[in-house]
Amino acid sequence: MIEVEGLTKSFGGLTAIDNVYLKFKKRELSSIIGPNGAGKTTLFNLITGHLSPDQGKIIFNGRDITNLPPHEISRVGIGRSFQRQNIFPRLSTFENIQIALFSAKHINGKLFSQAKNMLRDETDEILESVGLTDKKLMQAGYLAYGDQKRLEIGIALAIEPQLLLLDEPTAGMSPRETIEITKLIKKLVKKRGLTLIFIEHDMDIVFGISEKVKVMHQGRIIFEGTPKQVKANAEVQKIYLGKDKK
Amino acid sequence: MMEHEIMREIIQEFFKKTLTLRLFWLSTAVILLFILPLFISTAYISLISEMLIMALAGCALNLMMGYTGMVSFGPAGLYAVGAYTTALLLKKTGIPFAATMVAGPIMAGLVGAVVGWFCVRRTAVYFALLTLAFAQIIWTIFFEWYDFTGGDDGTVGFRKPELLLSINSSYYFILLIVIICLILLWIIVNSPFGKTLQAIRENPVRTEFIGVNVKRYQLYAFIISSLFLGAAGSLFAVFSGSVFPDYAHWIKSTDMIVICLLGGMYNFLGPVIGSAVYIFLSKLISGYTMYWMLFLGIIVVFLVLFMRNGIAGFISHKIAPLIQENKETEK
Amino acid sequence: MDIEAIMGQVLSGLSVGMVLFLIASGLSVIFGTLKILNLAHGTIYMIGGFLCYWITSTFAHIPAIFWLALILGPIATALLGGLIEIFLLRRIYAEEMLYQYILTFGLILILGELCKLIWGVGYHTVSVPWPVDGKMSIFGMIYPVYNIFLICCGVAVFIGLMAVMRFTGLGRIIRAVTFNREMANALGINVPMVYTGVFMLGCWLAGLAGTLMPPMSVVALGTDMAVIIDCFIIVVIGGMGSLSGAFIGAIILGLVNAFGISLLPKLTIAFGFLLMIIILIIRHWGLLGKPE
Repeated sequence: MIEVEGLTKSFGGLTAIDNVYLKFKKRELSSIIGPNGAGKTTLFNLITGHLSPDQGKIIFNGRDITNLPPHEISRVGIGRSFQRQNIFPRLSTFENIQIALFSAKHINGKLFSQAKNMLRDETDEILESVGLTDKKLMQAGYLAYGDQKRLEIGIALAIEPQLLLLDEPTAGMSPRETIEITKLIKKLVKKRGLTLIFIEHDMDIVFGISEKVKVMHQGRIIFEGTPKQVKANAEVQKIYLGKDKK
Repeated sequence: MMEHEIMREIIQEFFKKTLTLRLFWLSTAVILLFILPLFISTAYISLISEMLIMALAGCALNLMMGYTGMVSFGPAGLYAVGAYTTALLLKKTGIPFAATMVAGPIMAGLVGAVVGWFCVRRTAVYFALLTLAFAQIIWTIFFEWYDFTGGDDGTVGFRKPELLLSINSSYYFILLIVIICLILLWIIVNSPFGKTLQAIRENPVRTEFIGVNVKRYQLYAFIISSLFLGAAGSLFAVFSGSVFPDYAHWIKSTDMIVICLLGGMYNFLGPVIGSAVYIFLSKLISGYTMYWMLFLGIIVVFLVLFMRNGIAGFISHKIAPLIQENKETEK
Repeated sequence: MDIEAIMGQVLSGLSVGMVLFLIASGLSVIFGTLKILNLAHGTIYMIGGFLCYWITSTFAHIPAIFWLALILGPIATALLGGLIEIFLLRRIYAEEMLYQYILTFGLILILGELCKLIWGVGYHTVSVPWPVDGKMSIFGMIYPVYNIFLICCGVAVFIGLMAVMRFTGLGRIIRAVTFNREMANALGINVPMVYTGVFMLGCWLAGLAGTLMPPMSVVALGTDMAVIIDCFIIVVIGGMGSLSGAFIGAIILGLVNAFGISLLPKLTIAFGFLLMIIILIIRHWGLLGKPE
């Protein structure tokens, strides 16, 4: 579904992404792991158009999306959640999703209709699927951290992506919140037939959800395989999991 | 966190229940405004006319500032374009009055499109400085082009239709136009487009990634804002009978910003309140002392330090605890 | 134009530019470290001018009173700056640029009106002091010695500031705080005090410029408004936070204005703004600034 060919990106003297080749199959659940600074978020930023690569191509469903701006890439079918909180804090939870739907349905250009009652059903449906129905009138900035992440996923889903990129979806969450979010992600991905790529540090989640795991280190892919294979690979263990983990 | 949740939901409930109440208060205010000339002297009516025009300018600016999060240091430039267009057309051509009133905002919108196209290339402080530079260029053109605009002497003595020759009928004309413009702005702000603008204010990166071409929408906001700023300028031109280059000056721009801040940037009627308070205070204090600017400065400093959400913001933060108390005493 | 006329223009442009640099240097330093666009900077400059007038006229019987004013004036404005920073600016560092802009605008009003209260609405002059009064001949044109003196002051201030920044411990501390506030804090530097100090330095520079200007021009209300926009232009062209940038920007603006007045007088005022727009669009971090 999405391929990355020979992708390279440098910042000043630092090579963040070094000649990376990756392939993700449709409906596959993959994760990308690696120590901090390995280039994972940079990779996401390149895919979603927030950065331009120095070299290389990104191909999505047969189409070269390498130099498209972010707003066009999201229209092509790629949804994303961001590492730090990325919602619309002073708007209500309901409006957060509703506005994403306006954009998805191409009606955000309408000047002379009242937004309040438009796309109510669709918005409620998404709110329901991420479990935020009872909080829909709350100002999004006042939501609990875990709920904000749900909202973020909801916003990402509103544009009906085929591919979902999640950047550390459970970062900073309590164990309980983590389990809930993980369940939610699994449910949504299966239900909508999405292809999922996520970046995570929590190994339980990685090994729990992923079908495929790719390990990055210093801008390169050093190993790809199933969770079991990754756990067993000595080099991965050395670089990432720590030598003493056997 | 819990208290905020409760507060928030209480406010939502309150405003839902009082929606009809709010409409009631608004209609009362409008009716009051219409019958005002019956009991108030023309001096005050003139003052209220001025306040209405500034309120429109403030609301126009607020579409960019409060709703889209684009801080402009140069709205007065577009305001002056509207004013000069109308005044010059009235003075130098025989074009009917209604057409000059329409030409003002349209010209401002066109200039806004060009200026805005450049300005939205940048964000935050650089955007603001660009708007400032363009406004000062507009000022320079009005100031230096003596043969056409009268330069420092301004453009004066242009014809006014009979409609506007008395202060009262002038007032009704202004009131009508301002109300229509505000209704239009209200519709725009509550449309999907308006909501998208708010999303841009809240989080431009995220808005980009729900498929919105943020720069383009910022340009649209700039143009619409310019249209209404030009409308305010045209109104002021026919109200005061003269236009001067200083209408474009950055100090005038700052007045507009102060009005928005004073009334409350995150509230639709904020600039209206701000304009009323500002003009009222300025006339009141100027009556007693020649150091009105000193008081304005103190008010402005106080505003920034202690009342950042303006009067409207202050009120809505005060209502919440009161309702909270009521709910508790009810139990 | 013949070579003499051109040289005359260049000299004129340079002296204006140096004066502008003197005024803008303070703004550049303040913006570089505190990241605040101080609208009231021009007003502090104006206060410097009023102080110069007041000291030289009240104590006119004291010989060399101007030079005494030159020492006392900037100290007074620096102290004023310290008060402003401690009681007002500290509260808004964390806030958005809009609030800083409006707060410093409020300061323009307050300080300006206080000047009106104390010194009235008229304009005042200060006579050119000995020993830099008189005229000299450069390239065949007669030129006031004071203008040359101002150029030298501008260069001296520039060299002095660069030297302090580069070679002294104080300069290192300021640069550390400019570069990374949190890091400097973690290293034990008293960041709030550095902020106050830098703001006072900026106000000292404004006061210095304000005290040096009156013999060449006039002391009056409204000079702050005229000057602050030029300062903004210079700081934008040169790069916000770059002192050498401000130096170059000031020279550019001075020369552009000088030649502009002789070639296209009507549009001269607009040149500065056009330059500002061009820089903001092509290279918004300025000629010598750093891209973020």
